[in-house]
Amino acid sequence: MNKMKKPWFVMASSMVLALAVSACGGGNAGTTEEAPADETPAAETPAEQTADTGELKPEEGAKLLVWESADQKAFIEEVAKAFKEKYGVDVEWSDVGPDKSVAQMITDGPAGVGADVFAAVHDRTGSAVAAGVIMPNDVFEADTKALMSETALSAVTVDGVLYGYPYSVETTAVYYNKDLLPEAPTDWNGVVEFAKTFNKPAENKYAYMWPAGNGYWSFGFFGGYGAYVFGSNGTDPNDIGMNTEAAVEAGKFYQTLNQILPFKTGDITDDVRKSLFEQGKLAMNTSGPWDKESFKSIVPNLGLTTYPTLPNGQPMKPFSGVKAYFVNANSKYPIAARLFAQMASSEEFQKKNYQMTGVLPAAKALAEDPDIKADEFTATFLKQFENSVPMPSIPEMSNYWTTIDPALASIWNDNADPKTALDSMVQQMKDLAATAK
Amino acid sequence: MKQRSAPSAGSASGGTTSFARTAAVLSLFVMGLGQWFNRQYVKGLLFFLVYIVGLLYTFVVLPRNIRGLITLGDKAAGFGKNAQGLTVLLPGDHSIFLMIYGLIALITFLIFLFVWFLNVRDAHRNGKLRDAGKPVPNFGQSIRGMQEKSFPYLLLTLPGLGVLFFTILPIVFMILIAFTNYSAPNHIPQKNLVDWVGFSTFSNLLVYSQWAYTFWNVLAWTIIWAIVATVTCYFGGIFVAMLIQQKGIRFKGMWRTIFIIPYAIPQFISLLIMKNLFNSQLGPINQYFRLLGLEGLPWLIHPFWAKVTIVAVNMWIGVPVSMVLVLGILTAIPKDLYEAAEVDGASAFQKFRNITMPYVLFATAPLLIMQFAGNINNFNVIYLLTKGDPKTGEYAFAGTTDLLVTWLYKLTLDNQIYNVASAVGILIFIFIASFSILNFRRTRSFKEEDILQ
Repeated sequence: MNKMKKPWFVMASSMVLALAVSACGGGNAGTTEEAPADETPAAETPAEQTADTGELKPEEGAKLLVWESADQKAFIEEVAKAFKEKYGVDVEWSDVGPDKSVAQMITDGPAGVGADVFAAVHDRTGSAVAAGVIMPNDVFEADTKALMSETALSAVTVDGVLYGYPYSVETTAVYYNKDLLPEAPTDWNGVVEFAKTFNKPAENKYAYMWPAGNGYWSFGFFGGYGAYVFGSNGTDPNDIGMNTEAAVEAGKFYQTLNQILPFKTGDITDDVRKSLFEQGKLAMNTSGPWDKESFKSIVPNLGLTTYPTLPNGQPMKPFSGVKAYFVNANSKYPIAARLFAQMASSEEFQKKNYQMTGVLPAAKALAEDPDIKADEFTATFLKQFENSVPMPSIPEMSNYWTTIDPALASIWNDNADPKTALDSMVQQMKDLAATAK
Repeated sequence: MKQRSAPSAGSASGGTTSFARTAAVLSLFVMGLGQWFNRQYVKGLLFFLVYIVGLLYTFVVLPRNIRGLITLGDKAAGFGKNAQGLTVLLPGDHSIFLMIYGLIALITFLIFLFVWFLNVRDAHRNGKLRDAGKPVPNFGQSIRGMQEKSFPYLLLTLPGLGVLFFTILPIVFMILIAFTNYSAPNHIPQKNLVDWVGFSTFSNLLVYSQWAYTFWNVLAWTIIWAIVATVTCYFGGIFVAMLIQQKGIRFKGMWRTIFIIPYAIPQFISLLIMKNLFNSQLGPINQYFRLLGLEGLPWLIHPFWAKVTIVAVNMWIGVPVSMVLVLGILTAIPKDLYEAAEVDGASAFQKFRNITMPYVLFATAPLLIMQFAGNINNFNVIYLLTKGDPKTGEYAFAGTTDLLVTWLYKLTLDNQIYNVASAVGILIFIFIASFSILNFRRTRSFKEEDILQ
């Protein structure tokens, strides 16, 4: 008995300590949870302070954190320098790429550890809005609308509310090897004719390649025939346009191309395309501006053209992406963050960004800029961008990504009837949407 | 502290009174009171302080947090306009945070109850000492006793708390997610609240809709895969090991090294290279087939052949492990067994069946079950080789070669469907846990056996 007593006493007294510590912890948890209720009026005070001056000033003691990919670091630092000069606010950069920033912001933002301003590809805007983690672009709405191209604006608008500050656009087009064909065909007829003379499957020589089984790369056909994913603006989850008559037409034409690209969809990987292109066994290869430098280095005589025209006389309409800055809704310094996003996406800095990192600007006026027009590649991509469809950004888009690839595979690999395949794809999209309710 | 001579005090105040019971009852109502009654004033004060803090916590903090855990919030965050016309965030309840705070509060409360229990017990113990006419230790003695005898308990407290808050809490949290509707696109905080939905995630997953179809098919392939992968690697390893151990085989070291190499290369590299080797149009493997006048196979792009390819590639990685294992066991088999068998005129197959195989099986059966469990969760081979492709639209967010674990990965990281992923995780856990238990039971049953000793 006596022996046992002491250990228990020790346990007890150490638990006292433990309880004291954890009680504090728990107490804190309680207060943080209650804090939001008190914060509501507090959040309004900084704005009230600026109300009398009439123009926006960053909050006292503001300090911003920006998420961008590593290749944009130098540019962000450039903007940060100008921002510090103008507003006296320090800006820090952290490496979170535009492709994964929204997913991270959904968890980090409400926890209070997210960046104040972050770059994202527009197709996650819908998820970010549904989770409520991004601030609408309210103050600079008019400025942004005046500056940016229509496509870029609609990409970062959800339910009529503008959220982002676009700074760059990207889409895909056709790179070609001028040594193999001096002038790229402008329509699919020409491509098919050329393929008949050029294709030699035994030697692995092919005229034209794109990831045929992929819903991002193959959408150009459907878009060109007038099919759409969600409603006319990509915002109506109940109006799925992937099995309309137009879509079936597109599917039928898409299927015929199997003769000039006798591959199974799963075999057309980026590695394969790149190595064939490098060896001069592939004449035309589709890709985006991100591959410009690496393609230049492997194909000495490189050209770029927009997608060939479809048999119905319409140009192809590929998917495009818009990169934009967003303001974290939970930012401690929402005004400073707005000011920074506005500055970084201004015409002046878009041009600077183009010069520093080669990204395509989103500003309308810059498409007419003599420097940019002189750059054949950028001009071509911007021209193709005018003829593109921004990827729908509503959250239901994940249902498209997961069902389109198998549908394309069955049309392409198994010669399935396009109508049947697309009907079943749309049915599956509806089923998935229903299970998510 | 004054220490009175307890025996006289105890017996003087009445032979029938039980100090133990009185002290325990006093401590039961007010922590520390029993200790004061036992004249352990400092200890009593400490317990009383815990009592005050604990009661405050229980009545002020706990109800709010428990309420949060039950309701998961009433009002989600939204946007509004401030006086200046600027959009501002109107903060609301974040269901997931509420859930975590609720769990923390609950665990803290349980710790408080535990300390209360210790306090009653301590009062009772010391009361008994007084009943027996022995002196109760004073505070200094208690501390000394603590240093001498029960220092490990003190040290264990910290890891114990660590386990509570960093092991138990996340696991309970993960399990609770399965009973909510926490999933994209419609139930992601902070603009939306998450609700408790009971077992409907499980019933969706097991019975209804596309989820059930996907789940059962993926589960079936997971089990087939685990069995086939384990068996092929195991017998492949035995086969190779026995070939190398044959009499008259030269350069044994070289052979062993060659077979070990695939295992020594990081899978991240070798599997990605394999992916290109098996490209059915341009991959070298099919190119060789074509040189021989054959068409080759759609290695990674046909649902059936993709499965075959994965099993084959997995053998390339997994056989070396079994081989090394079996090589060690083979050297331990007494040579005279084989010599005796030869004298009796046994054939090579008879020797294998009756001597080698029982030895090998005896030593490796528990490991075999462990490997089976490991293969169920074999993420690398599937994800790096096919990413679960070829896809099929009939599955919800899965491809035909996805295992449960890669499906779970896609559900959480690519699609944010946390509730289904959590339910899948629980089912995988149940599955693997049963195999681990089986494994442990097998181990003991082997320990008690002694046919071969």
